Order: sequence, then C-alpha cells, then structure tokens
Amino acid sequence: MEIKATINGDEIVKNINPNKRLVDFLRDDMNLKSVKEGCSEGECGACTVLLDKKAVTSCTLFAGQIDGCEITTVEGLEKTGELELIMKSFSKNGAIQCGFCTPGMIMSAKALFYKNSNPSKDEIIKAIEGNLCRCTGYNKIVKSIEEVRDGIEHE
Amino acid sequence: MNKNFRYIGKRIERDDSLDKARGKALYLDDIEKNNMLHGKIYMSNKPHAFVSINKESALKVEGVTHVFTYEDVPKNLYCSHQWFPGADVVEDENILQKKARFVGDRIALILGESKEAVNKGIKALEVSYDELEPVIGIDEAKKDRSIINGDTNLAFSKILSCGDADSAFNECDYIIEDEGSTPKVHHSAIENHGCLSEMDEFNNIVVYAPCQVVFQVRHIIAKALDYPYSKIRVKKITIGGSFGGKGMPILETVCAFASLKTGRPVKITMNRSETIMGSRSRNSTRIKIKTGFNKDGKIIARKIDAEVDGGGHFTNAAAVTMAMGKKAFRLYKIKNQVFNGKSYYTNTVPGGACRGYGSPQIHAISEINIDNCAKKINMDPVKFRLINAVDPGDKDPIGAPELGNARIKDCLIQGAEAFNWVERKKHIKRKNTSRYSYGIGVAAGTHGNGYKGAFPDFTNVNISILPNNRIWIKIGIHDLGCGTVLTMQQIAAEVFKISTKNIDVPQGDTFISPYDSAGTQASRVTFVCGGAVKKASEVIVNKMLENYTKLFGCSLEDIIYEDGYIWTKNNDKISYGDLADLVESKLESNLEVSVKYNSPGNPAVYAASFVEVKVDNYSGLVEVEDILAVHDLGQAINKTLVEGQIEGGAQMSIGMALSEEIEYRKDGTVKTDNFSKYHIINSPSMPQVKSLLIEDGEPGGPFGAKSVGEITAVTPGPAVINAINDALSCNICDHPATPERIIKAVLNK
Repeated sequence: MEIKATINGDEIVKNINPNKRLVDFLRDDMNLKSVKEGCSEGECGACTVLLDKKAVTSCTLFAGQIDGCEITTVEGLEKTGELELIMKSFSKNGAIQCGFCTPGMIMSAKALFYKNSNPSKDEIIKAIEGNLCRCTGYNKIVKSIEEVRDGIEHE
Repeated sequence: MNKNFRYIGKRIERDDSLDKARGKALYLDDIEKNNMLHGKIYMSNKPHAFVSINKESALKVEGVTHVFTYEDVPKNLYCSHQWFPGADVVEDENILQKKARFVGDRIALILGESKEAVNKGIKALEVSYDELEPVIGIDEAKKDRSIINGDTNLAFSKILSCGDADSAFNECDYIIEDEGSTPKVHHSAIENHGCLSEMDEFNNIVVYAPCQVVFQVRHIIAKALDYPYSKIRVKKITIGGSFGGKGMPILETVCAFASLKTGRPVKITMNRSETIMGSRSRNSTRIKIKTGFNKDGKIIARKIDAEVDGGGHFTNAAAVTMAMGKKAFRLYKIKNQVFNGKSYYTNTVPGGACRGYGSPQIHAISEINIDNCAKKINMDPVKFRLINAVDPGDKDPIGAPELGNARIKDCLIQGAEAFNWVERKKHIKRKNTSRYSYGIGVAAGTHGNGYKGAFPDFTNVNISILPNNRIWIKIGIHDLGCGTVLTMQQIAAEVFKISTKNIDVPQGDTFISPYDSAGTQASRVTFVCGGAVKKASEVIVNKMLENYTKLFGCSLEDIIYEDGYIWTKNNDKISYGDLADLVESKLESNLEVSVKYNSPGNPAVYAASFVEVKVDNYSGLVEVEDILAVHDLGQAINKTLVEGQIEGGAQMSIGMALSEEIEYRKDGTVKTDNFSKYHIINSPSMPQVKSLLIEDGEPGGPFGAKSVGEITAVTPGPAVINAINDALSCNICDHPATPERIIKAVLNK
C-alpha cells in the first residue's frame, strides 16, 4: 500500500508492505538505527518512537498504521535541536552505560514532556515504566530527566 | 595514601555516551556488509533428543541459500567456557548438535538473502526428534535414570575444607540449619545475542562480536574449525549489555563456520525468546547450610552442601561450583568449615557467568542463615556479623590468596550508622498496619579481583605517545557498558598528567590488542588491567623524561611535566607529542613501550546492604522502601561509574530476590520465554539506591582501587529477603520471594 507520513520532519510517500513491523520499516527502509529491538512484544521499550507525539513501541505496530501520522525518533530530535539538553543530561549524570535502552528511554521522556512540561518525579518514573534498563537501576535516568525538566544545562 | 588526585575519583564523562544517545553508536545488528547473508539458528524444540533434519523444504524457500546441520560441520568438540587452552573442562559442544540437550540447543543454521527468507526457511525446515527422557531439575538429575553426557549426570564435585567441622559441631552451644534455592536468572541485557563474520582479503576470518573475551572467542573458533589462531581476527564491538551472558561464544563458531564455508559476510541474530532459551543463564542452586556457634555469637563450625544445576552442556559446571565454595571462606572467620559442592547436567539452558559468578547464590542462603543464627541468641544481626567478620590482612583458610585490605567491618559499622540501623530496628514494627508489614534487613558479601591463585592472570599493554599529543593504549579490554575504557583513561591520565580526552584506548581486537590471559570477566579489569595500564604508563613516562634529558641536556630533577606539556626553567614548554617528534628525528627512536603485567594478588572486595521493605499482606507484593549499599572498593576511579555499578547491581540482585526466574515445565519447555513473563525490576519498582564507599586503598591495586562491578549484585537481594523475614517473622529461603511464597508465609504466621 502507499503511505504518506511525516518521519522526523520529512514528508514521505512510500509504497510499502503494510504488514511490515514499524521497527523493521524504520530500521531497514528508513535507516533509523536508533530504534532498537529488544523483545519484539512491546515489553522492553527499546524500540520506542513517537507517533503523533505519543510514545509507542514500534515492534508492536505495523508500518501501515502510520499512514497520515507523524513519527519521531532521536534522529529527528537531533535535527530540531531538541535532543541537546536531554542527551547531555543523560551523559553527564551517568545515565548511559551500555546505551541500548537510551534512545527509547529518551523518546518516552520526550513524550512525557509534550504532555506535561513540569512532571513530578513519580510521573517521570511512571513515564519510563515500559522502558527496561539492565545497567543503571534507573536512578540516574530519572535524575537526568528531572534536570531536563528543571532546565539545568550541562556543558 | 596520597589523595590529591587530578583524575582519579573524578566524575569525568565517558566519551561514548553522546553517540549512544544519538543512535549513532553501531551495535551488532546495526552493521550491514555488502553481499551479506542473514542467518538464524534453528533451535531444538525438544529438551533431550536425537535430531534428524530434512533440508529440502527449507532450501526450496525463495531466498534461502544454505541449510547446515551437524552433518555439515567439523566434529571438533569444544567447551565454550574455556577461555584459554589450559583451563580444565569437559568438551561436549559441537558447532551444531546431533543430540539436542535442551530446548534452545543449536541444531541447524539457515542462511538467506534476507531476514524474511530466513524466517520462512526456519518455519519450513522439517525436523524430527527421537526423544529421550528429559532431565529437568537437580532432583531428577540425581536419579541418573536418563543420562545426558557420559555415565552419570553428576558433572563435577569438590570438597573444600579447613579445620574439622564434623567434630567441632559437638562443641557448639547452638546449631542452625537452613535450606534454600536460587533461580536460573536471565542476564537480560537489552541487546539480544548476535554475531557477524566475514573473510578478509588474506583469508582471515574476521568476527565482529559483542563479547567479553576476544582471545576466548578466537580460541574456541580455532578449536571448533581447526583454523589457525593467527588467521582469526575477533573484534569486540559496541555491546548492549552482557552481565556475563555474552562471555561464552554462542553464535561465534557457527557464524565463523558459515563465512568460511560460503565466503560471504554472515550475520546471525537471536530474538529475546531465543536468547532466554538458547544462550546461558545464572546457574540455579539448592544449598543447605548448618552453622554451629556459641552463646557469645562466635561461629565455631559450618557445613555447606551446594547443588548446582549446570544445564545441558558442561560449560562452567566446575568453575561456578568452585567460585561459590571459595567465597564461603572469605567473609567470616570460621575455623572449621566444609563446603561440599556438586553440579549436575540437566536438560535446561547451560550455566554461564552471571554478574557475581556464584557469589549471589552462596550469599543468598548463607546470609539468611547468619540472620537466623543471630536471632537464635537474640543478638543484633549486624553485631553477629561484626563478631565473625574477617580483618584486613587475614589469610584465606584454604590457601587461596590473602584477603588484602579487607574492610567488611567498616562496611557494617559505617553502614549501620548511616542507615540508622539500631533505631530503625527498634521502631520498625510501629509502622505496621493490618495491610502492610514492615521489616529491615542486612546482608554482607564478598567477591574477588581476578583469577590469581587459580588461573593465569596477566595482561600485556602497549603504549605509544603519538606526534599529535595523543596517548595510544593497546590492551585487550572490553567495555560492557560499565565505563571500562574511561577507567583505563583515568588511570593513565593520572600518571601522564594529561586529560583523558587525549588518551585513546581501543577495545579488544585480536589483531591489535596484545595478548590478555583472561578477558573482561572475574572482576579483574580495574585491578589487573588497570594495574597494567598504570605500570606501563609509568614506564613510558620515565622513558619520555629520559629522552628529554638527552635532547635538552638537563637532569631529571629539572623537568616539569603537566597537562600534556613538558619543560624546564630554561626551556620552553613543548607538548608530549612534540617531544615524540623530536625523539624520532633526533634520536632515531619512538616513545613506545610494551609491558607484561602479572596480577600482584587477588584481594577480596566486600559489601553490606541495609534495606527496609514494605510487604503487602494481601497481595504478597514487596516494595523495597529504602536501600543503602556500602562497598569496600579500595578507591573509586570514577564515582559516577561506581554509583552506576551499585545502582544497576542492586536492580539485578533485587530482581533475583523478588521476581526473576527462568521457569521450566516438566516437558522441558520454557514458561518464562519473554519479558512479559520474565520480570525484571522496572522503574516504579526500583528504589533510590544510596551508596557509601569505603575507600581505604588496596595495596597492589592501581591507586588503591579494587573491583566493584560484580559484588554490587551480591548483597541487596539477601538483605531484602532478611527484611521480608523480619517483616513477617518467617523464614523464606527459596528464591525468588514471589507473591505466592509471601502469601504462604503470611498465612503461616
């Protein structure tokens, strides 16, 4: 089928297999390698992207479902300059170890900020409950997101 | 000890994290090669069976290029655990198996031009099984009704002892016995297993592996394929977590075989279910402990019987059993102790290294037992531990290397104070309501610093000062996410007096890295590899200074060097790189050294965790309300990295205590085959971890540092269980303490 979608700010019109999983479409057809696959069933959150500014797991969606929608990954956030503050906060605070969960984690945080620019610590914790991390124990990730909320800038 | 460090202990930022956040770091599955074949392993659906495979229907699938089975691969047996040729193991693995020994065992490889074709090929493959009786669990293994390998399912047994425990029990005022179990744990690195290999223009096999020991991968491939070591290039690439899980080669032999056979690049990946079922796990155990002690709290004798589920292949059956046993002698002073360890083959996923390597299992049960001993004489459990804990400089009672600057008492004393243990212990029950029970718990633990005393533990380092003022350090390390590269950079920076930003430490590559005997495992990297980097840095800095005296006709005492520059009162500053230039032009030499470094010892590290839990009497759910983790790590090289280890280790340890278990059905299939059924701690269930560091310096460690990565996963879990037992006045010893087990304890109250 032919789909029309906005991916990281670019409008695309593409003939695709609608049954292809969104994660495969983004990684293989769009070369957006920040989108990681960890469990293939929507449980680990590594493949989280924004669909119309809401966090979704791209392994549980089909590419056909994004017709007429807007998709954002960290590559898109970098283009608009929106990645700067959050990635520096993650880096400075030691919230990135192996880094495999990081892009998904950032997208969940971003979805939260779109909804609520001043979330409480509990709301932050809740926003990333679907993103599993085995390295950090989440503490430093939560702190990083709190610092973004507070507008703390890192070099 | 001089603590005026420039770089050591500082919260320096690692240089790989921004690329990881930007999605620019290339993990295995992000790498594509021209003309690359995609591969997938067909894993056995049966736990114990001879396999017959008809390739035809799979080969008919459009895009499928090859199907390989046992019939096609070299028949050289190997043991994936063997990291160097001298390690004594049982070799019982093939590249692809004829007899499947667990659900998930590799029985065929399908290659194709696309992932889709390969997936279709997997579905089309016709496999028939000649089934044997499956052996699931230790009890079944012990019956020896159905034998997995050789003539008994007993894979390994060993007794370690000091004194005379049997007769010493007669002299004790009290004896407390406990028995408990620990689960098979999935490492849960968020990146699944994968491997990529290709042939280069010189007919070398090049393997891109997210791994922990490039020289082990080389050794195993050389063995399996009977291919020269010198023609196998293993490159460690960016890894999405390991925790021991990516230590043993799982896909590397198959992948290398496929590239050799087809001449094409081959990428093989596993999904989550395949990784849970078909890689490695923490060994499950059943442990019985009997401790004899006197009224004054002094332990007189202890007997430990430990049974280990080794899984379908031998792998680490001996190593993990020995590791558990040895730790039992290094935490408390127990004059009479016997450890009787046995490991068994079962038709389940083979055991492998998993953060803590036996320590989480042995301490899980022994620390519950210690609490029960204290309870028996109404003694505070911290005090009971203090009475028995080892002291700095103590010898190991069974002849392993000395304990070094063993600061467990500091961990307990300072931790109890910081946690306000005594007061909280007094008043915790006041918090109880009809619905919730509160409790607090403590646990102590120990771990090592490498292999010294058991296996060769040395590494080689090559360091150059390059003309553009960069320091190039070649050493066979593997950053598994912990910040190993930065750790090496900070150690070198301190010696060189130059920013970490000027120091490059490429990771393990068997064509670049000088030989390293044991890899990034066994908590050896900071202590051994860090020690090597410090030593080699000192050697090359001396060489730099000597060359300077030759070029500028001054004496060593005149030289000042700092921030990458070197000068004297009479000579202008030049950079280290400029000096390297001059050394080459004027002295026909270069600033480069190669140093072999043997580990100077194997001191112990210690930790204690203090925990408060809130138990829901209705649902059986446990919340960890507060946790303080105290670590005797000698000296933190980077506090942010250390906290990251402590917080992440706590997540794993609490998971093992409360919710994580790879569960098998009687028929050998896996119940918990994905994250919807295998529950690791997520953000709402994770407490804020407070950490306290005991930095008293370990002689022999680089700037006094010793290990921390593995021991972080040892004490939080037992402290949680002790807190639950405190809350419910029960004695849960079986892990994980699931809601079912908690409710049972509540009902028995």
